[in-house]
Amino acid sequence: MIHDSVIRPKLVTGEKTLHDVTTEICRPIENKPSTSWKVGFTLAVIFFGLLALTLTITMLYGIGTWGLNKTVQWGWDITNFVFWVGIGHAGTLISAILLLFRQKWRMSINRSAEAMTIFAVLCAAIFPLFHMGRLWVGMYWVLPLPNAFGSLWGNFHSPLLWDVFAITTYFSVSLVFWYLGMIPDIATVRDRATTAGRKFWYNFFSMGWTGSVRTWNRYEVVSLILAGISTPLVLSVHTIVSMDFATSVVPGWHTTIFPPYFVAGAIFSGFGMVLTLLIIARKVMNYQDYITIGHLEAMCKVVMLTGTMVGLAYITEFFVAAYSGVVYEQYAFINRATGPYWWAYWSMMTCNLVAPQVFWFKWARTTPWFIFMLSIVVNVGMWFERFVIIVTSLHREYLPSGWVMYSPTWVEIGIFLGTFGLFFTCFFLFAKFLPVINMSEVKSILKNRE
Amino acid sequence: MAKKQLYWKGEEELLRTKEFLAAQKNEFNEALPLDEVFSENNMGLTANRRDFLKFFGFSVAAVSLAACNSTPVRNIVPYLVKPEEITPGVANYYNSTCGACSTACGTTIKTREGRPIKIDGNVNSPISKGGLCATGQASILGLYDTERLDGPTKDGDNIDWKDLDSEIQTSLNSIASAGGKIAIVSGTIHSPSTLAVINEFKTKYTTANHISYDAVSYSGILSANKDSFGKQVIPSYHFDKANVVVSFGADFLGTWISPVEFTKAWSAKRKVEGSEKVLKTIVFESNLSLTGSNADYRFPMKTSNEAIYVVALYNELAQLSGGSQISMAKTGDLAGGAIKQTAKALWTEKGNAIVVSGSNNPAIQSVINGINILLGNYGNTIDLDNHSNQYKGVDADFVQFSNDLKAGAYQAVIFYNTNPVYNSPLSNVIVEGLKKTKLSVSFSGTKDETATLCQYIAPDHHFLESWNDAEPKAGIYQLSQPTISPVFKTRQAQESLMNWAGVAASLENDPFAKKGIYNQKNEASPYYLYIRKVWATNGVSADDAFNKALHDGGIFTNAPIASTIPSFAISLNNLVSELEKSVGRNNEIDLILYQNIAVKDGAISNNPLVQETPDPISKVTWDNYVSLPKALAENKGIQNGDLVNLTLGSVSLKAMPVFIQPGQSNQTVGLALGYGRKGKIGEKGAFDSIGKNAFPFVSYTNNAFNYVLNGVKIEKISGSYELAQTQTHHSIEGRAIVKETTFNEYKKDPKAGNNQVVPHLYTLWETKDYKKEGAPNHHWAMAIDLNACTGCSACVVSCSVENNVPVVGRAEVRRRREMHWIRIDRYFAFEDKKGLVDKTDSQFEGAFITKEKGLEIADKKAEGSQYEHWENVKVVHQPMMCQHCGQAPCETVCPVLATTHSTEGLNQMTYNRCIGTKYCANNCPYKVRRFNWFRYNDNDKFDFHFNNDLGKMVINPDVTVRTRGVMEKCSMCVQSIQAGKVKAKREKRTLNDGEVKTACQRACPANAIVFGDVNDVNSEVRKLFLNERSYRVLEELNTQTAVKYLTKVRDTENSNA
Repeated sequence: MIHDSVIRPKLVTGEKTLHDVTTEICRPIENKPSTSWKVGFTLAVIFFGLLALTLTITMLYGIGTWGLNKTVQWGWDITNFVFWVGIGHAGTLISAILLLFRQKWRMSINRSAEAMTIFAVLCAAIFPLFHMGRLWVGMYWVLPLPNAFGSLWGNFHSPLLWDVFAITTYFSVSLVFWYLGMIPDIATVRDRATTAGRKFWYNFFSMGWTGSVRTWNRYEVVSLILAGISTPLVLSVHTIVSMDFATSVVPGWHTTIFPPYFVAGAIFSGFGMVLTLLIIARKVMNYQDYITIGHLEAMCKVVMLTGTMVGLAYITEFFVAAYSGVVYEQYAFINRATGPYWWAYWSMMTCNLVAPQVFWFKWARTTPWFIFMLSIVVNVGMWFERFVIIVTSLHREYLPSGWVMYSPTWVEIGIFLGTFGLFFTCFFLFAKFLPVINMSEVKSILKNRE
Repeated sequence: MAKKQLYWKGEEELLRTKEFLAAQKNEFNEALPLDEVFSENNMGLTANRRDFLKFFGFSVAAVSLAACNSTPVRNIVPYLVKPEEITPGVANYYNSTCGACSTACGTTIKTREGRPIKIDGNVNSPISKGGLCATGQASILGLYDTERLDGPTKDGDNIDWKDLDSEIQTSLNSIASAGGKIAIVSGTIHSPSTLAVINEFKTKYTTANHISYDAVSYSGILSANKDSFGKQVIPSYHFDKANVVVSFGADFLGTWISPVEFTKAWSAKRKVEGSEKVLKTIVFESNLSLTGSNADYRFPMKTSNEAIYVVALYNELAQLSGGSQISMAKTGDLAGGAIKQTAKALWTEKGNAIVVSGSNNPAIQSVINGINILLGNYGNTIDLDNHSNQYKGVDADFVQFSNDLKAGAYQAVIFYNTNPVYNSPLSNVIVEGLKKTKLSVSFSGTKDETATLCQYIAPDHHFLESWNDAEPKAGIYQLSQPTISPVFKTRQAQESLMNWAGVAASLENDPFAKKGIYNQKNEASPYYLYIRKVWATNGVSADDAFNKALHDGGIFTNAPIASTIPSFAISLNNLVSELEKSVGRNNEIDLILYQNIAVKDGAISNNPLVQETPDPISKVTWDNYVSLPKALAENKGIQNGDLVNLTLGSVSLKAMPVFIQPGQSNQTVGLALGYGRKGKIGEKGAFDSIGKNAFPFVSYTNNAFNYVLNGVKIEKISGSYELAQTQTHHSIEGRAIVKETTFNEYKKDPKAGNNQVVPHLYTLWETKDYKKEGAPNHHWAMAIDLNACTGCSACVVSCSVENNVPVVGRAEVRRRREMHWIRIDRYFAFEDKKGLVDKTDSQFEGAFITKEKGLEIADKKAEGSQYEHWENVKVVHQPMMCQHCGQAPCETVCPVLATTHSTEGLNQMTYNRCIGTKYCANNCPYKVRRFNWFRYNDNDKFDFHFNNDLGKMVINPDVTVRTRGVMEKCSMCVQSIQAGKVKAKREKRTLNDGEVKTACQRACPANAIVFGDVNDVNSEVRKLFLNERSYRVLEELNTQTAVKYLTKVRDTENSNA
């Protein structure tokens, strides 16, 4: 089954035996949490509490507690939504597309990347839900249930409705894919379990996995099918998110380049976030042998490629605006670069187009602390990209009488920070209770597995 | 062991046939009727008995469960005895007179179930001609004001009317019998019956005299006319008869004397279709006023130099006419040749011109009279015989009274419809004097600044509860009628005076008594009877005649302009010393006090609708501010948001916010009167925080109050203050949103300024067809004439009242969340006379700078200079509301179909479906959608009229009050359309053009807004849609709007576009 060339560099270093893999990856699950885990988890929960507080305030008093106004009616909310959805892209890309392309290096990172996807989509979902003026009514009207009134459906012209479908589909497929991939490993934990509770729960979630040839065979087939389903989703989700903007008439939004540009940006930011997380995780959990410099380098290459792609898109937008002869379009782009939000635009350009170019140098691609810094820069840059697209387009569009400035309130900032709390709470729990590396797959790529 | 079967159900059982046995094995021997139940055929009504019982049982259980939810019980109290004229759900309309100011526009009041909910102009009234200003529109809230007094008070404690009457009568009697003087101080009264009542009072108490006092005085005109022509009146100005008007600081379209009447006339004469001449408007002023913003030529003037300007104009005209000139030492054409040009323009239109001045200096007004005499305007455009009565206060009388009061000469004072403690510069004198009186009474409905210092408050009805009459102009008699029973235990002021004068009793046997309208206590209102008596003595005695007058709103004689040319009785050269005295020192700064368009003199400034109406020029709400010219601001290093101290002699205002106002003349600053009232309504109960009182700055010179004060000191202090503006970007960025041309070009080509070729437009969606087969549908549309619109903002208030638009307060306006469904966009263009901006740069073509970047360049180059491009600005006003796009960007993006298109071309909101994604507002190119960020009703954070039961009485029951989290916008008053359609249907006819009018259209004093059905070939709106001047805003987006604008046409020499 495995047809690797012997001269290829090893994907897992440290001359691990099969037993080593099992013990090392099950270690955090079976031992008491470390101090660093406790500190990190507490911090995450505090921020999660901030999320609960700020969302409660929003629901109690209204969206007016945010800084939005009559002209800029989407601000940090949708910026953060697109930011998180973008981050949620790398997981499925790694597990599905790289699976189809037989990129075996994905094996030791796909589990955590997928987990990141799911948590990021959870965080993302908060924004479109809570940005609604009447969430309680929204839950009812958006889902097109046939009802007693006759044909009262949602509006299928509206990209927001497409969004609902795209994101729920993506979320559910990713969740199933993630869970399915974990079943053999959960069974391993179950088999090693010493306490009754652990036995019960891991037994429950392993769904009676026996490890027989038949189950493995089915497992492989279903993985492949899910990978096939996920692959177009990777492209469709952000395409549809981009259509929230592209199908509108707002100068700066109304652009056909958006779907590929957004997908590239999403992969860019997704890999940025994967790098951020894994560089911490491999250090803290001592997984350098599984998540090697080789992994980081491969991801840096993806980051550089996609960063350059979005950079190209930024420049293309300017060209199209100039070439179109539409004054509103032209002004929108000049205003981005030279208007009152110029700092956001140039932050975006620096972080997304210029900064990743350092990855042309091998040193930059292979030095973890440097990659870590760059991955943060990428995340910041991609946040600014969404802010630039949403806020600077809206704040000055057709009629100058409506031109305004927008700045967030502490509630909006709190919600954004709070979603980081949610994200890391989930991630810490994941790292504590589930195997963060796919043991069964990693075992298949050990050179010395004999 | 089978039992023997004794009974059987049928033969087949007895015989035990094969089929029976087979069937018996099957428990359900008939197929379940599932298919039938779930089939769509027969609507699933084939259920059998058992199923019916199941469904029935389930339904009963479900309904019982649902009923467990406790819905609050709300009682509707039906009429025990239904008033004859009130049908619930049907509005009644009454013609009456507006009492918000003494202009006394005729009004039509809409009432629902006995509550007035809307004031509009009365189309019969020659004053309002159907229009009504922002202040008048808003004044309805005064009726439902929680600050109103519930009954009379004595020293702050409640008292019975009876006790009050006897105490005051006793007091008055003792004062009068001892020869003590009694004063009735009032605002201008032109009500014949009220004046008669006051005369009765004066007859009874012979020591009483009546002093008229206007917060913003026109005493200068009155005195000048007395000196010049022997008539102490304000003449009638007929702008619709003139071809040129020259105004020296008189904001006749905004606040001067009778703005609604003047706007009606002005806009009629500005009509370009088929006109040889339009009313050329030339304005010299300091503050950029509404009139200035609509002028063809506007010249910045330092108003303390006004005497030099008017004398120069007089002398130019005298030269042209060959008459004698005024010889004044200080003279010259300070406007750089503009005076000569103006004189020429006036001279060519001799007899068809009007020259007016906003000055209150009798000497200057006399020169203006002289100019009008030279031009022969009297008898043609200005009428002294059919004069105005709207302002009659003579400042000298009031000053005399105040000083006498302070000296202790008055034993009793009665204040009616006036508040001198607040709005007079002699406030301190009056406060001192009041302490020396034995009796002080105020008729104020609220505890205003004067009333709180009075011994008794005998609260007057709100004008919507009152009977009254008015004679705003000679020959125009209007009536006021109550449209609601008194909300509180108030009493009409006239009735109080009648009681105290003992007049009421003598009316009991009056022939009209039995026919009277009954008041709350089921008694005839004595003042109504008194009005009948007064009107009877003037020839309207029959019930029919009086009722006809009541129905029409009054008796309006359409007297032609009296052709008498008055003899000019003074020598202007005698006034030279006064004129020279009025000229300010050259190096000192002028403070120009003016009235804000909605707040005016501040009489109703505790009205949230008035406060939230943006100033049409600066777009500031909820505050007054120091309006600074750019040059002065740069010189002093002051920026927008800074605070300054204003000092003039001993008077000073600390920590005033500033606004750098384009168009403000150098060496002058503006400050609005009418702010800084004491009260409790408003944001968190602090109305005192709304602006600062500028009345103490008013000076008394040349026997009149003076609102132009030379020598003010401005000192920047630390700290900052953000003014709440509804528009913060002021340049149009070279975009063809407002199209304009000049009159000369228009005459050559009516399409001038509007001949851009719109490229072929494509759409994804099917084009809507409003003419379905068979009966033709309506297609509602609106045309807005930018050439008529002055920006007066009456439509904004009217719309808010009609459509229950919430007031959100200063803090929310600062966050740019005002809820107005209609707004007036205002853009400045800066005239670049010095060529500061490179014209070869394609970005900045033309003589005007219209772009932010261009202005930045110009400002940089102009550093250290006088910033003349800031002084000379061109202004456009553009009303903007939902454009009801045929292909609406908002409609396609709503995920829940909460905003959809009607078959009649309206873009309609379904509030119940709206979930508040706000996508529609983002995608609206016109930015007219308004989101309910908070719940604006029943919310203590928004303590305006929607937060109390009394204030909520103004709510229009035909329009939903929106909840938090939904989007709203202009509906083109769909409730009025619906009502009109229903009415037409009931009368079995089609809807007539003009039958349905939107709230903005009804309010507009300029007739700029026309609403109607474009499918109706004869409709006015269709004609306007086909007019060469008509265009759509952002037509290139192919939104196919149902609103079209008509190009603005300026009567200037050349195109300044």
